[in-house]
Amino acid sequence: MMEFPQGFRKKFEEILKDEFPLLEMCLHKRARDCIRVNTLKISREELKERLEKIGWKLEEVPWYENAFFVETEGSLAKTNEFFLGYYYIQDAASLVPVIVLNPRPGEIVLDACASPGSKTTFIAELMKNEGLIIANDVTPKRIKALSFNLQKIGATNVVVTMMDARNIKRLGIKFDKILLDVPCSSSGTFISSFRVLQFWSQHVVKRLSKLQKQLLKAAVEVLKEDGVLVYSTCSLDPEENEENLEYAVKKLGLKPELIEVKGLKYRRGLEAYGKRRFEYSKFAIRFYPFDNLTEGFFVCKLRK
Amino acid sequence: MQAKKMSEEEVNELKRIVEKNYGVILDFSSFDCYINRRNEVYLIVKGISEDLIKIASFAGVYFGRLKRNEKIQLSVEGSQIVGKHATKNVAILDDENLARFLEGLKCKWKELINCERNNFVLIKHGNDFFGSGILREDGIESLVPKARRVMRTIKKV
Repeated sequence: MMEFPQGFRKKFEEILKDEFPLLEMCLHKRARDCIRVNTLKISREELKERLEKIGWKLEEVPWYENAFFVETEGSLAKTNEFFLGYYYIQDAASLVPVIVLNPRPGEIVLDACASPGSKTTFIAELMKNEGLIIANDVTPKRIKALSFNLQKIGATNVVVTMMDARNIKRLGIKFDKILLDVPCSSSGTFISSFRVLQFWSQHVVKRLSKLQKQLLKAAVEVLKEDGVLVYSTCSLDPEENEENLEYAVKKLGLKPELIEVKGLKYRRGLEAYGKRRFEYSKFAIRFYPFDNLTEGFFVCKLRK
Repeated sequence: MQAKKMSEEEVNELKRIVEKNYGVILDFSSFDCYINRRNEVYLIVKGISEDLIKIASFAGVYFGRLKRNEKIQLSVEGSQIVGKHATKNVAILDDENLARFLEGLKCKWKELINCERNNFVLIKHGNDFFGSGILREDGIESLVPKARRVMRTIKKV
């Protein structure tokens, strides 16, 4: 029987209080299958018609019209349409950071920790293959997965770099927008893969929180004045989320901006955790697996 | 990416080869074309600095690979760019043979449009283009990259 690790349970009982049983119930649920239409290759209507013809039941994702929740007996990855790159399979939660980033054609955008590319490919679609996207990651294995997905989606405006994103200023480029979807404990993704909780510990969370602050610092250095940085994690832990938002505002001088995502069920960031108070948490959004039957996420938007 | 930007002359030569093989005059004007030592051609949106491409691990879309005797093997995405207007070397497959092609197996054609034996052909099903194969006397050899194959009849154990 699947159970939360003891430390995790204790921590989230304290955070969620009465709502904790809802989180626990997600141990026995699955995130809803979701696909995003690749609008670089096909229209929403045409893809919908084709997939319905092969018996798929599609329901529009309330927070993004070109993505669908899918019900099918078959595999999402074994259709002609998937082979052709007409859609991308992803969790519906991971659409949110890009929706908040709102990239536009012609802009210069950095996706600092990009692999496997669900967000980069989405950015490329919204930019209609105009402008420049630097998609960076750190290991050859991750670069391979990223490049494969970018090829399949037909993105011609993406340059993939392999470096530690803490050294990103070596590129000598200033960006209009930066997506910093940082490496994290992934505690919000247990609804898709319970394995993530096997690696979860308070020690890991603290180590990652430190790395995330270093990444934030490096990203700010390459952001243009008045540029926008979206910071996101698929972690539920405040050390990786609200704590880093406070760091970005107080130590790095970024200005938080209020965000709204229509159609998504979410709450604002935590105001306090333990003895810590979070002054800027109202600018962030966080949602749990039980809110939308997706992975859990934390997202905030900051301006330089 | 160890690739160099193709000169105008080289791009014109690429256009000529595409036209010769598939009967399409392609407009590359919105792209910079890059070619590496393996003669693989990449299309990258215009205006990105060459210095940046040099330090990249990957950039743009892999279009296809130039071969000897003025032939070109197109990638899946290359076939989608060229296919829409192709009038030569197009093989149309039925459902069953398309499934075989996507698994990397040899398949039979339903119809051939101006095809040359032992040359690359674009694989068409409905209005979609699925990449390239090589037309032989007895069928079409699939050139679907391993990472992209769709195993529908061969089940995982």
